[in-house]
Amino acid sequence: MQRRTLMKTVLTAVTLSALQATTAFAENPVLKIGFVGVTSGPAAAWGISNQRSMETRAAWINETGGYTIGDTTYDIEIVSFDDQKDPKRAIAGMEKMAQEGIHYVVGPNVDDGAAAVRPVAESNGIMYFPYAFPKSLYQAPASNAILGMVANYQSGPAIYKYLMEEKGIKTVAFIAANESDPLSQRDGGVEAAKALGLEVVSDNVTYQVDTIDFTPVLTPVMRAQPDLLVLSGVSPANAPQLIRSARELGFQGLISTETAQDAGVLAEGAGDLANGFISVGGASTPELASPMMNEFVQRYTDMFGEYNDESNTKVYALEYILETLKANPAAIDDVTAFQATMDTFEAPNPYMNGDAKLRYVGMTSFGQKRQVAVPLVVNVYQDGAFETLFVAEVD
Amino acid sequence: MEQILANGVYLGSQYAMIALGLTLIFALMNVLNFAHGQMYVIGGFVTYTFYGQWGVPFVLALVMSCVTLAILGALIEKFLFAPVIKGSAREESTMLLAAGIAFLLDALILIIFGEKQRGVPKIVNGVFNYDFRLIMPYDRILVCVLAILSVVAFIALMQYTKTGRALRALAQDRTAAQLMGVNVDRYSMIGFALGAMLAGLVGGLLVTITGVNLGMGGPTSIKAFMMVMIGGAGVISGAIWGGIILGFMEAIGLAVLSQYGDITYLLIFISLMIFLAIRPQGLMGKPWG
Amino acid sequence: MGFSARQLIGVGLFLFAIFVGVPLIIGATGRWDFYFTLTSVALLAIASAGVWLTFYIGRINIGQGAFALIGAYVSAILVVKAGWSFWVSLPAAGLFAALIAVLIGLPILRLRGVYFAMITLVLTQVVTLTALALPITNGAKGISSIPLPSGVSLFGIPLLPDFAAMGNTKLAFYYTACILMIATYAALYRLVNSRLGHLCRSMQQNEELASSIGVNIAYIRIVIFAISSFFGGIGGAMFGSIAQSVYPSSFQVADSVNFMLNCFLGGLGYVFGPMLGTLVLYFGWDLLFEFGKYQMLIYATILILIIRFLPNGLLSVRIGKGGGK
Repeated sequence: MQRRTLMKTVLTAVTLSALQATTAFAENPVLKIGFVGVTSGPAAAWGISNQRSMETRAAWINETGGYTIGDTTYDIEIVSFDDQKDPKRAIAGMEKMAQEGIHYVVGPNVDDGAAAVRPVAESNGIMYFPYAFPKSLYQAPASNAILGMVANYQSGPAIYKYLMEEKGIKTVAFIAANESDPLSQRDGGVEAAKALGLEVVSDNVTYQVDTIDFTPVLTPVMRAQPDLLVLSGVSPANAPQLIRSARELGFQGLISTETAQDAGVLAEGAGDLANGFISVGGASTPELASPMMNEFVQRYTDMFGEYNDESNTKVYALEYILETLKANPAAIDDVTAFQATMDTFEAPNPYMNGDAKLRYVGMTSFGQKRQVAVPLVVNVYQDGAFETLFVAEVD
Repeated sequence: MEQILANGVYLGSQYAMIALGLTLIFALMNVLNFAHGQMYVIGGFVTYTFYGQWGVPFVLALVMSCVTLAILGALIEKFLFAPVIKGSAREESTMLLAAGIAFLLDALILIIFGEKQRGVPKIVNGVFNYDFRLIMPYDRILVCVLAILSVVAFIALMQYTKTGRALRALAQDRTAAQLMGVNVDRYSMIGFALGAMLAGLVGGLLVTITGVNLGMGGPTSIKAFMMVMIGGAGVISGAIWGGIILGFMEAIGLAVLSQYGDITYLLIFISLMIFLAIRPQGLMGKPWG
Repeated sequence: MGFSARQLIGVGLFLFAIFVGVPLIIGATGRWDFYFTLTSVALLAIASAGVWLTFYIGRINIGQGAFALIGAYVSAILVVKAGWSFWVSLPAAGLFAALIAVLIGLPILRLRGVYFAMITLVLTQVVTLTALALPITNGAKGISSIPLPSGVSLFGIPLLPDFAAMGNTKLAFYYTACILMIATYAALYRLVNSRLGHLCRSMQQNEELASSIGVNIAYIRIVIFAISSFFGGIGGAMFGSIAQSVYPSSFQVADSVNFMLNCFLGGLGYVFGPMLGTLVLYFGWDLLFEFGKYQMLIYATILILIIRFLPNGLLSVRIGKGGGK
């Protein structure tokens, strides 16, 4: 009997959830924007900061009366799908987005997922904004992916060049996790460093993502005594441990990465040893952040209890989608109109002080405009917070 | 060379402790506990919350980790594993249960502790540096000593107490132990709680060095499986040896093979497979535990 | 082999349901996204069938992800670099996976219990790391932009349509996956009810005893493991073709574990167990999509409840009712 009751309960729950229609809660028509990324399991941190940025912004828009595109004011709803960092699930997620009638999706977070969803996105008319760097996603004939951040092959050279000129570095060593994304980023970094005339003294040391002690991993790298140690594609969880191990082994040089990091995590994990660590950030350092950015951080903190600095780079994709739709309301269910608008689109960047613009770039890297122009803000960690080292632009 | 040995001892002592809890649970109930890594992570987060957030002394926080995990382990055994083992036709079915629990704990960790990497203030500052030939931060040395002490304490418990004798009897032969008047249900629960507690203890110790995040669970379980397999499943000394061997393999492998770069781990794994193919029951395991 | 009328009707109903029923329901409800999910279920069920088969000789296999990955890469490399037709590369992928299984199986099939389970788990990592390191697999960059399956025609008569020319490949992939799945399970059913199947059962109970009465257990183990891996290779290759890309992380340890869980959930004693297990585990996750951040929590809780109350798998419900059908 017990068994049957259980089965019934389970079946009812499953049926109900399947039939449950999406609830519309406001009088405004709803504009759905999708998110497909990893929000559970080991890599949850990547997707969650992404999803929360979008939800914060959507709640903010809805609270202040909605977003006007053409002559309709919409409430924004974020539809999230957890792909568990599995490319097979990512495809299912993209199918789900097509099912919901969504044409604009943020994510996936990793290379394999971004490549796997391409057929679905292109056949269903979905523009998507991956946080993955392979150029083949953005070069023709690929048409529907827009890189949502600055790629490592764009930020890397800028950082190395700056450090060569300002700090006089001559040698560089790379270390990466033994996974697709970090390895690809390392290869890109090595290429860029060589092109700039840096001497690459070590580039084949890798570590497993589940490493709990980085001392043995770093020992051979330290012997090469590089001026700069690059942590290619390092995850926020591993960064503090790598920094700590390197410093404890007596490493005196500079340490940098091309991914976004969180100051709180660095402070907890490496303390003062992380001082001087160079990473790529968004526009939340005091001198760059506009009042709107500060309000965003405040609202995020109120909503989720704690801000994540990784969100600084992830605040942009949703803003780009909405601003471009505003510029061309016809694009709301027609991605070809969206693509046409991308070539000429320009709007002020609300998150940054000064006259920075939101526009699409990528001609140099991809041959077509398939990247959002976000300021390349290079930060340096100092005593629990990031300070701006320099700001550059990507074309 | 000194550095490699020191790294090996340090890694080995950590690994041995992780493997101990897993092998204990396996020896007692033939359960391959997929959720072991998640328990280790919870241990880390509990210590983080007490020591890192609320400023409770480190030792007390460590005790809290142990207590939390022991209770959690006892509850899981009593309400989930025990009934499933009784009801299933093939005892491997518990693997599904263990995996389900691993998913559940992962979900709970995410909801309760969040997705970020966490770390605590160092327990001791400073670095031991012998002429740049042997570098070891003091906190690592301390954690390593604590780990070795816990392993010794655990062995003493198993050897010289009534509980330990009962658990060993249970691991050797369940039916015989029952006939000898050992309360099998009770000691299974105690054993499972003890195994979970060990996971919590390592988690709490290691949070001071590596920090903790919710992603560490699954990979830790897999690593622990490997150590148990090297030493021989279900044998306490085997788990200790397995941990030490894997620790040294990594320390030496990373140093010697670093010129081969990306394939270091590939070679470590392949040598593991070859070792097992030659010695199918691990170093000291029962032929098919 | 004699089938009872009831069995035939059951099979007929099942075939009707997946080939006619599902498309009709999807057409009526407009849930087009279910096509991909069900295609995935069919393909994962093929790989799970292989795992189930290794269970049948008493081995816990947590290495099917390795063979699925091998299959996916072999097919992708043959199609992209050698210009083969996908339909030729598909059996080639299965056969290559089977070949690898024979080579690896020779030493490791002597292991039993958790040792076999763990060595296959390590095998999954070895294959992932190999894919990262080898030049032919394109290392970390993976193989992307794999063309869709091309058409096949014999003497001018089109046997298989050109997928690239289709407006909507969903239905085509769905039917392909279902046909493959049915072929797999038909083969599995045939195998279990053959002489080999009886020998396997005797091995599952006691290898020494089976060996002592003259069963060549080493040979049977290899054959079964090869067939099992063949299924894995086929499932993986098909997936690569749908995603049009293969990465070292396309199949990893989590997938290997899931394949095994599918078998447990469906029930180890039932040929169709892995199919049902895959459906519930994979489709269940999609259905719980609406719960947002509690999705994982609810999913895990349901999983635990099922195994708590049905420790012998979902199909054991039938026995619980008094073993009628």
